[in-house]
Amino acid sequence: MKTLSIENIGFNYTDRPILSEVSFSTESGSVCGLLGPNGSGKTTLLKCINGFLKPRAGQVYIDGKSITNLSRKTIAGLIAMVPQLSTPVFSFTALQMVVMGRVARLGAFAVPSRRHYRDAAAVLEELGIGHLSSCGVNEMSGGERQMVLLARALFQNPKILLLDEPTAHLDFKNQYMVLDTVAAVTRKKNLTTLVTLHDPNLAARYCSQMVMLKQGRVHRSGITTEVFDSHALESMYGIKVSIENGCRGNCYVMPSTEGCGVTWH
Amino acid sequence: MDGSGISRNRGAFLLVSFAMVASFFLAVSTGKYPIDIKTLIHLIASRFGLGGGDLLLPQAALVLWSVRLPRILMAVMTGAALSMAGVLLQGIFKNPLVSPTIMGVTSGASFGAGLALLLGASAIVVEASAFIGGLVAVFIAYQIGKRGANSVTTLILAGVIVTAVSRSGLSYIKCKADPLGQLPAIVYWTMGSFNGITLDDLLRSGGLILAGLLMSYFLRWGLNPMALGEEEAMSLGVNVNRQRAIYIIIATMMVAAATASCGEIGWVGLIIPHMARMLVGADHKNLVPFSALLGGLFMLCMDTLARALPGGEVPVGILTALVGAPCFGFLLIRRSRKAWSG
Repeated sequence: MKTLSIENIGFNYTDRPILSEVSFSTESGSVCGLLGPNGSGKTTLLKCINGFLKPRAGQVYIDGKSITNLSRKTIAGLIAMVPQLSTPVFSFTALQMVVMGRVARLGAFAVPSRRHYRDAAAVLEELGIGHLSSCGVNEMSGGERQMVLLARALFQNPKILLLDEPTAHLDFKNQYMVLDTVAAVTRKKNLTTLVTLHDPNLAARYCSQMVMLKQGRVHRSGITTEVFDSHALESMYGIKVSIENGCRGNCYVMPSTEGCGVTWH
Repeated sequence: MDGSGISRNRGAFLLVSFAMVASFFLAVSTGKYPIDIKTLIHLIASRFGLGGGDLLLPQAALVLWSVRLPRILMAVMTGAALSMAGVLLQGIFKNPLVSPTIMGVTSGASFGAGLALLLGASAIVVEASAFIGGLVAVFIAYQIGKRGANSVTTLILAGVIVTAVSRSGLSYIKCKADPLGQLPAIVYWTMGSFNGITLDDLLRSGGLILAGLLMSYFLRWGLNPMALGEEEAMSLGVNVNRQRAIYIIIATMMVAAATASCGEIGWVGLIIPHMARMLVGADHKNLVPFSALLGGLFMLCMDTLARALPGGEVPVGILTALVGAPCFGFLLIRRSRKAWSG
């Protein structure tokens, strides 16, 4: 069975619909990319899936069960979200940040015990950022902070991992480092991962499944090898593109308009 | 192994606790009727049935047990309450620049208390009226802030608006008050002072404050996810609306209790959380107890200074503003990137 199924979601803030008739489903152990131009409803869709926003129509199912009437606490045990990168107001340390992943299970009166801190530290180690444990998040680079947020999401022990533009504001190397880690933990923990991305190259590299949104509707969705072609991208983004096969099985998406920079020979 | 620099924090806690004990003894012995250490020990010993000192020193005993001790304890409690309310509000609004005064809680509470004083209500009613005034004020400020741009600045401006309205209400009360009896009392009370605190005040307001402090202590770690903002807290599984209401009620209760007994004392709820955060970090697990301790110490020192100043006692609210406001200016200029940004 599909772990995460979205059926017929519709949403609007005002009269103008943001999402309409959005349906797709994804399997566990795979990364699904959510693509679309600015304003196509990617972030709104993530918020509907996470239950922040109540859709006007349709349902979100996890393992066949609707999440509509679940409490925040129950949803937090099923779905973890890595938010868009922002500078936190208060500088918690990485460890303090990660241990907050347990708040739903600890209850309002609790203070985490030594064991919780030890488990949280283990998650940081697992992602290879154990050395950041007592660093303040305000003093970290964007890539490091994104990894801490990922660690916190994993510490929630979810079935489903949502990432809202995890590569925005990251430098060239950090984009790959973060997504490499996301892909690795998705396989290892058999998660169902849904990630919004702006760069089709990154999507092609990491996502085995894709959902393309255009003006709040599903433009195309399915297995990457079946849906990822220049025609789909051109009609979604409204720009001429060419897709070329590179070495090591990767493909490259480039706009086929004239560049104006340096030319290589 | 909980990433909070245990040894550094322990040092800060020890230092402030030691300063608190020292200031306490200093505060007990200074004043218009000085009590030296020997007499003090004698009085305490006799209180617990070790020797009959009370009979020998009736005046000193009266000053200590009926006037000075209630006042000192109330100063410590009020300082702790206002700082704690500051920590709670800063945490839930994810905003290091709010405080009970800035959010309008203090002025709302003093309007409520002033109204009850004008009508000649009993102390309990003054307390309840202050609580309702404070709660209405913070609710309105929060609603304006939320419906506006929902930024750090909007919330502060919303507090300015609510404060202005409460102030005009309080001015109206002053102009309707009896200029010979009520008016001086209300004016002196709005300046904020621990002068005239009795054992009854301590038991009533102090009891409410103590309840609020204990609740904040037990709920302290829950402030961490709240301080990340509404959506992050929600995705971590926090019932944000319920938690926010609980923390607001606790904070308002403490501010109302303090304001009803001691009047408006500003700036403590803003600068103490900042200083505490610089010393023990942002984690509310340590920040909550440490702010209470530091706030109590600060207020005790200010009140002792207010009593000991040459030329007679001044309302402590004047001193906290005189010290607190420049301190905050200093913090803004070299705002510590370590503990907060925004």
